[in-house]
Amino acid sequence: MSESATVLEVRAMTRRFGGLVAVNNVSFNVAQGEIFGLIGPNGAGKTTLFNLITGLIPPSDGKLLYLGEDLTNRPPYKIAARGIARTFQNIRLFGELSALRNVMIAQHIHTRSNVLTGVFGLPRARREEAISRRKSIELLDLVGLLDRADEKAINFSYGDQRRLEIARALALEPSLLLLDEPAAGMNSNEKHELSEFIRRIRERFNLTVLLIEHHVPLVMGLCDRIAVLHFGQMIALGDPANVRNDPAVIEAYLGDE
Amino acid sequence: MTLTQFFQNVLNGLSIGSVYAIFALGYTLVFSILGIINFAHGSVFTLGAYFTYMLTGLAVGFNGILATTRLPFALPFILALLVGSGLAGLVGVLIERLAFRPLRKRGSDRLLSLVSSLGVAVVIVNLIQYLVGAEAYSYRSDPFGLGQPTVNFGTPERPIPVRSVQLVIFAVSVVILIVLTLIINRTRLGKALQAVAEDTVTARLLGINTDRLILFTFFVSGFLGGMAGTLVATSQSITGPYFGIAFGLKGLAVIVLGGLGNIPGAVVGGFVIGLAEAFVPSQYVAYKEAVAFALLFIILLIRPQGLLGRVQVQKV
Repeated sequence: MSESATVLEVRAMTRRFGGLVAVNNVSFNVAQGEIFGLIGPNGAGKTTLFNLITGLIPPSDGKLLYLGEDLTNRPPYKIAARGIARTFQNIRLFGELSALRNVMIAQHIHTRSNVLTGVFGLPRARREEAISRRKSIELLDLVGLLDRADEKAINFSYGDQRRLEIARALALEPSLLLLDEPAAGMNSNEKHELSEFIRRIRERFNLTVLLIEHHVPLVMGLCDRIAVLHFGQMIALGDPANVRNDPAVIEAYLGDE
Repeated sequence: MTLTQFFQNVLNGLSIGSVYAIFALGYTLVFSILGIINFAHGSVFTLGAYFTYMLTGLAVGFNGILATTRLPFALPFILALLVGSGLAGLVGVLIERLAFRPLRKRGSDRLLSLVSSLGVAVVIVNLIQYLVGAEAYSYRSDPFGLGQPTVNFGTPERPIPVRSVQLVIFAVSVVILIVLTLIINRTRLGKALQAVAEDTVTARLLGINTDRLILFTFFVSGFLGGMAGTLVATSQSITGPYFGIAFGLKGLAVIVLGGLGNIPGAVVGGFVIGLAEAFVPSQYVAYKEAVAFALLFIILLIRPQGLLGRVQVQKV
């Protein structure tokens, strides 16, 4: 894994909220094709780190490099356009829109038609609409929601909403996918399926995956490498077996009980 | 009520209702995206009417500091209407940049934006009074060049006359409504708008430049407000710097009636209030406003979320 190209480089990233240091001098690299896990007790700064990587909040200090390009302090829409997509711990779908519409909106940045071609239904706009619809339908099929494409997202079950969120993130055609607790609220069977699913989309879309997860067996089984955050600091980084036996990690988790 | 009166009332109601609709859409678009009522919308309505007045080459009155000035050119009315509305749209953009964005970037309470937009409204009203005075302005008679003041929808024996200007207002408003609907439902821009309206943060993460979209929304909102102002002024006159204030309140009634932030709701609300007012008998015309707001009360008692609004489900 260490020989492949670095996709994401988080360099001495720090984020303070007033007196609280939510993320403290965290550095790591994620390599092409890797499934990289981010674990840690509640309040460790995992989601803050996701917000920093996607540009939702600016870092107080540090740098973010993506495929060698400095993305620090770029607005979220530009970072998304570069190929970084994410899902949310608290699902953020467009609840009143249909599943298909949710996915098609993320296709938006890959289309070129403008207001005039759209209003007059000109061939280019219609062609792009058709392409975008076809791709979105493929994605819904991939996550197993094709038969419910026209239903409002808000009516979906928790697990289905999570899968729809992944489909929507994939519609951005990302090369780096950030998943924030994708298995939350799933039963063990669903969790197992999810692991398989994440591996499958990695192969199919040539993805690099960065994921936050609480469920330790899932993380250990799925991830190539794991970083452990505790009170904003990275206390361990390595492959699952090493991290599992790291005294600092054991201490952090036991201390949390 | 005779059948003739009934038809007249319906046509008049549709005409004024369509103006209410495009005006209220200006509120609704901004509300659906930012969750804020732009209280300066009524004064943009006023400005639009004045812009069109100037662009048709008419001179300012004697009282303001611009007394008796006129533009060195005169546009045909329809063109003046479009350009004037466009200028009103730019005022909308300016309002977003000066009154809304700075507060938003600082994460201020939404209530503060409301107050700052009220401030903008006051500034615009006073600026108008300062520049062009407080007197009423009228466009040239028959601005659309229709030739005849009324159109007869009945037979020569039983005429149903309707003012032609009302018909033009209705036609223009309907065209605007159709174009706007197409933009929202058929274009990439419209879909991005829907996404931002649902959830701004997520829309940004899906590659949508929300700041630019918000600017665009304010432009469209100002355009619609300015156009409504001109259209209303063609059937009456510009009554002075406060021209749009009462209309602004009416617009609020319309969007609350239709369902806050709901686009079809603003259109339905506009027509409902327009029709209700048109059926107020002429001897009670002074109570017209009361009818509109009484209707609002009654409908909100039955449907607190407005006619087409969605019920807010509070998740525990």
